Amino acid sequence: MHMHRRRVACTALIAVALAALGFAGTAAAKLTGNYAKFAQCPYTNLEVKKCIYAITESGEVVLGSKKVPIEKPVTIQGGYGKANEESFSTFFAATNGITLSKTPQNVPGGLLGIVPEAKQPWLVKQLIKFFFENSLTGLNSTLELAKPASEIKISEKHLAEEIGIALEMPLKIHLENPFLGNNCYVGSSSSPIIWKLTTGKTSPPPPNTSIQGFGGTAEFLEEGRIVETKGTKLVDNAWSAPAATGCGGIIAFLVNPIVNSSLGTTTAGHNTAILNNTLNVASRAAVAKNNEENP
Amino acid sequence: MSERAHKEMMRKMNRKATYAFGLAALVVLLFGATLASSASAAPAWKFEGKALEGTETILGGAEKSAMTIPGLTTTCDNFLYELSISNSSGTGQGKLTGMPLFNCYTNSSACFVGPIGAEALPWNSHLTTVESTPYVVFEGVKVGIYYEGEECVLDETLVTVTGSAGGSINNTTESATFNSTTLKTTATELKALGQKIEWTGVFPTEAFQTHRLQPLSVS
Repeated sequence: MHMHRRRVACTALIAVALAALGFAGTAAAKLTGNYAKFAQCPYTNLEVKKCIYAITESGEVVLGSKKVPIEKPVTIQGGYGKANEESFSTFFAATNGITLSKTPQNVPGGLLGIVPEAKQPWLVKQLIKFFFENSLTGLNSTLELAKPASEIKISEKHLAEEIGIALEMPLKIHLENPFLGNNCYVGSSSSPIIWKLTTGKTSPPPPNTSIQGFGGTAEFLEEGRIVETKGTKLVDNAWSAPAATGCGGIIAFLVNPIVNSSLGTTTAGHNTAILNNTLNVASRAAVAKNNEENP
Repeated sequence: MSERAHKEMMRKMNRKATYAFGLAALVVLLFGATLASSASAAPAWKFEGKALEGTETILGGAEKSAMTIPGLTTTCDNFLYELSISNSSGTGQGKLTGMPLFNCYTNSSACFVGPIGAEALPWNSHLTTVESTPYVVFEGVKVGIYYEGEECVLDETLVTVTGSAGGSINNTTESATFNSTTLKTTATELKALGQKIEWTGVFPTEAFQTHRLQPLSVS
C-alpha cells in the first residue's frame, strides 16, 4: 500500500516536472531570422494583433535646465491590439517584463551638476565629501514606465501619417547615484510624466517652440509580414514634470529642494524629448507561425 | 587651269558657300522656333488635329498598374479612369471623375487587397510640356487601399496614397505613361505610409462621347 502511494507520488512529481519543462519550452521561443527580435512579444495572446520591437538609438531628454543625451540604446518591446475608432491600440507588456529597457544614460555634470556645492547645507556637504573621496560622483538617468504597459497607447496610423500622437507613455525618471539613494525619481505612478510623442509637428507652450518629427522610411520584410521603419523621429516638447522626490534617503527633506532647484522650471514648455528610432513591427500570427515552424 | 575655268570654279564655290550659309541659318531659325515652342506652347487637347471645343469625356484603362513601397508591390490588373477634358485659354485641363480598380493583389503570399478605390473625387488635371514632351498631371490624388491577411503586417489597415502624379503622353499610341521618371520630370510625387512610393502604369486613352473613334492628341 505504502509502495503504491510512493509510486503515485513519484509519478505525480515527474509529471509536474515534465509539465514545467514543457511550459518552459513553450515560453522560450525559437524564433528565427527577422522574427528573432520579437521573442518577447506576447504572441500567444490572441488579443495581440502586432508585435513591436523598437530601438531608440539616439536623441535627448531635456528636463528643465538639464539635457541628457541618449547615448545607449533603449528598447521598447511587446505587442499591441486592434486600433480603436481614434486609431489608438492598447499595448501588451513584453513577456520577460522588460517592456521599456532600464538603460542608464550619463547625466553631463554628474552629481555636482544636480547638487551644486554652493547650495549644499553643512550636513549635505559632509556627506557628499565622502562620495567624492570614493569617486562616486557619476550620475545616471534612467527612463522607467510609471504605470503598467497597458497604459501605453500607440497609433500606427498617426506614426505613419505624421499627425497627432503616435506613442503615449507614462514615465518616471530615475536619478541614480549612491548619494541620492535608490528612490530619487522625477515622476511616479501616481504623478507620472506623460510623453505624447509625435512624428509630426509639436505645439508646445512657450518658451519652447515647435519641433518636427519624422515618420521614417519603411521597408517590408518577409513578404509583408514585417515592416522595418528606419529614421523614425518621435518628439514631444509640451510635457510637464513634477518635482523630484526621494532624493538623498533619510535626508531627502534637505536634498530634494537642491535637486529641484538645479533642475529649474520643469513645467510644460521647458522640457523636450527627442527619440530617434528604428521600429520593427510584425503580424502576431506570422510570429506565432514562425515559432510553430521552429519547435 | 585656264582663267575662265578658275572663275567658273570660284563662282560654284561661292554658290555652295551661300547655300551652306543659308541652310545653316534656316536650321538655326527652325531650331530656335522649336525651342521657343517647347518652352512656351500651352498644350491643348486635340481631336483629329483640331483643338477641342467644349468638353469631352475620355476613358483611360491600364492593362496593369502597380504601386510599390520597398518590399511590397500592389498591382491592379484593371485600372480605369474617366476624365472630363476641356481647353481653357488654349491649355488642356481636366477633372478625373471616376477611377474604378479591379483585380488587385500584392506580390506577397500574406497580404491581400480588400476594398480599394479613389477618394476625394474629382481630381483636377492639366496638361504641360517638358522638353517638348506633353504630360498630363493629376493633382489631389487620394486612393485608399485596405489590406487583409492574418499574417500580413498591414492586416485590416487602410493605407492611403496621396499626392500628385504626372504621366507622359504619346500621341502616336494615344496613351499616358506613369512611372518614376515621369513623376520626377513633372516634379510630382505620391506618398503612402508617410513615404514616397513608386507607381507605374500605361493607360491607352480614347474619347467616349462626341469625338468617339477620333484620334486624340496633345500639342
